[in-house]
Amino acid sequence: MLFFRSEERVRAWCMTTGHPLRPLVRMDQLWELARAWYSTRLLPESRRPQPAEMRQIFARLDLAGTFWDPQSDAFG
Amino acid sequence: MSLELKAKLAIYDHFAAVGSRPSVDDIAARVGAAVPQVREIFGRLRAQRVLVLEADAESIRMAPPFSGVPTQHRVTAAGVTYHANCAWDALGIPAALHKPAIVQSRCEQSMEPLELAISDRGPEASHWLFHCVVPASRWWDDIVFT
Repeated sequence: MLFFRSEERVRAWCMTTGHPLRPLVRMDQLWELARAWYSTRLLPESRRPQPAEMRQIFARLDLAGTFWDPQSDAFG
Repeated sequence: MSLELKAKLAIYDHFAAVGSRPSVDDIAARVGAAVPQVREIFGRLRAQRVLVLEADAESIRMAPPFSGVPTQHRVTAAGVTYHANCAWDALGIPAALHKPAIVQSRCEQSMEPLELAISDRGPEASHWLFHCVVPASRWWDDIVFT
């Protein structure tokens, strides 16, 4: 999970490393993801989002497609 | 409150206060428990994916969003410097702390430095992007790589 200066630089990095190009996320979207995951992390009631919540969070941010599908059997 | 929850909160309180990882001994002293008991709790928190531990099974590698080891993603808030596990967690630290922060990192392709101010309203306007090569369903297959 990395930062890039622009889409061109992401594409160049993927070409260089052989990694596939994945959906790009803007900083405002990343902030909402960070808040969804961590805004209660220091509190007693904190818990990680479960798959159904993850799907809702991603959908709200227009992060759609199989890349963002958490597939519940992968989460303990 | 269970001892496990006390230990979990103590771990996060320690990271938030000083920016570095606590040891098993630190947490045992903080919650008033025996070191072996806290070591067991660390193992349970790892099983719950609350912590990622080093090979010694007790040193904290990750207590997301905090990193127990130095990384390229540095966050400064209220005079404390933190390390984040990844770009997502770099924004996760100010989100967890509920404090303004400066995120310092880099473009992975060009190595240009990133400095991003985070206020209570979120990040300043920026054209920088986040990219993850691992699909969501595979994030925990190798969370350090992810």
